[in-house]
Amino acid sequence: MQLTSETLENAIEQLAKLPGMGRKTAQRMAMHLLKQSDDRVNQLAQSLIDLKTKIKYCSVCYNVTDSDPCPVCTNAKRKTGTICVVEDPKDVYVIEKMNEFRGRYHVLGGVISPMENVGPNDIRIKELIARINDEAEGVEELILALNPDAEGEATSFYINKMVKPFGVRVTRIAHGIPVGSELEFIDEATLNRAFAGRVTF
Amino acid sequence: MNVSGLVLTCFRNHKETAVTWAPRLNVITGPNGAGKTNLIDAIHYLCMSRSFVATSDQYVVTSGEKSFTVEARFSGAIRSKPFDVRCTYSRGEGKRIYVNDSPLDKLSDLIGRVPVVVLSPDDKKLTREGPAERRSFLDGFIAQLSSAYLRDLIDYRRVLKQRNALLADYRMSRDVMQAMIEPWDLQLATLGSRIVHTRAQTLLRFTTYLEKGYETIAGIGHKPTFAYKTFINTVYSDMQINDYSQEGGADPDSSAPLSDFTIAGGPDSATADTRAGNTEGVAAGEDGVSGGKQAVWTPEEIQQSYAELLQSGFDKDRERQQTTIGPHRDDIVFYLNDLELRKFGSQGQHRLFALALKLAQRDYYTDELGDMPIFLLDDVFGDLDPSKTQVLVHMLLEQSGQVFITAANRNLFTSMFTPQKGMDALYRVADGQVTPLSE
Repeated sequence: MQLTSETLENAIEQLAKLPGMGRKTAQRMAMHLLKQSDDRVNQLAQSLIDLKTKIKYCSVCYNVTDSDPCPVCTNAKRKTGTICVVEDPKDVYVIEKMNEFRGRYHVLGGVISPMENVGPNDIRIKELIARINDEAEGVEELILALNPDAEGEATSFYINKMVKPFGVRVTRIAHGIPVGSELEFIDEATLNRAFAGRVTF
Repeated sequence: MNVSGLVLTCFRNHKETAVTWAPRLNVITGPNGAGKTNLIDAIHYLCMSRSFVATSDQYVVTSGEKSFTVEARFSGAIRSKPFDVRCTYSRGEGKRIYVNDSPLDKLSDLIGRVPVVVLSPDDKKLTREGPAERRSFLDGFIAQLSSAYLRDLIDYRRVLKQRNALLADYRMSRDVMQAMIEPWDLQLATLGSRIVHTRAQTLLRFTTYLEKGYETIAGIGHKPTFAYKTFINTVYSDMQINDYSQEGGADPDSSAPLSDFTIAGGPDSATADTRAGNTEGVAAGEDGVSGGKQAVWTPEEIQQSYAELLQSGFDKDRERQQTTIGPHRDDIVFYLNDLELRKFGSQGQHRLFALALKLAQRDYYTDELGDMPIFLLDDVFGDLDPSKTQVLVHMLLEQSGQVFITAANRNLFTSMFTPQKGMDALYRVADGQVTPLSE
């Protein structure tokens, strides 16, 4: 095989490195971009560059933001006393889409996982405790919204233990049956959790 | 359950094979290396998402090819409608399972849809080799009945791996590690206790099935029994406990000692009659065995006991850099007529015991699920004497379950039964080609 364009090959290689992207898809995408107008491709390229140059991490909640502190943390209409603890900025995105939660966030940036050499000091637990200690924040409740897997559970447990001495109310989001699904199609393990976490009617 | 058709593509030496199966006995014969086992291994893939022969999927792909596909249609009392299962594997992209053309999220979601029991020459490992073989039998056994058990098992292994990774961190001080290990201990205790409880409950019921299975194949007058060895002891100290690690040294094939305590039932501590109830030591301490009060072990009680043992064993675990207590160290000890099979069993007794275990598994499934599992018998008849073979074949013919038998020698079967049209079928396999034989 003889390459007619190193440039094209290079673009394909770069695209193929993205998560969920195979070589075939990368090829198709590169060919597609080649056919687009200069303007559109420039916009895309600029937005990618901006992603790395303009985005900062909020110094309060560690979410990604253009301005520090982030709009959520500076929004006077949002409750200061409630902090929702999440693993990742994309979790904030999901919860914000719900349009229901009016408190603030704390993005840990990971969960405890000894296998991957991630301990409590490698995620932002210290920073969370500092916020609880900060009188200005007036934290009354922590809502733990981590994934219900082994690492998420371990991290939730650890945080609960660490903040207990401060007398803050610690809650966690419910685990169980997805809304709109039918009981008969729920697996036993999920159903089990739903029963354990039942609420008074 | 029934499998009606099977299509294999680039599956070992089957480049392109399609077979239509009979609803009862399917006897597959042919020379060694012709691809007989591959046919039933393909069925196994569609039940358990993996081979019962090969250790890795990549060896299953026909050499020179990139991927394999197996597909079959299943029907049975468990589901009202027939459904198709397809399994594809390709180097690089891995394995995918589709049920009625829609992909499963996890491979483990497949298990239990089509219950299967396998009898193969590898079964001799079950009674002869180390505890891992028996745990894997037990886990596969229960996982096909309970998806909750399988989920717990997968989660347990994950937490165990994390805990062991933590224990292996030599730079960490003892106090820090002790604080850090708590979230993992907690999860291990929750998951582990449910696993032990389910194992105990299952084994408790399994006892009578095993007796019946052994009787079917070996006749009356033998007493197959077993004891479930696990870690619990401290809370219910009035229950009879044998410390196996003190008994004549460590087991030769386990590098680390087994769990320190066993619930009841050493060869010299209980009679054959009570031994059948040994597993009750966990589920329901029986008067005759324990001499203590009736104690029903709930998952919560096991959990509490396990959590305490994890705490008290912390320093030992830290020293060895691994978790030394838990269901991942469980074992089952088999006895025949009061004697420990592994120490005193003859070749023939091992063979019959393994066979009895699988027959018992099949009966257990049938009762539990209200439908017979698919039964795969890989090359087991060469090992049995003609009278036992006859007994087994007759038993299979009397029942309605679908059975697949591979054997090198066809005459063995043609002399023993006449295939009933529409019920049984004979196949000949040579060089990856399957030919149905009429009569």
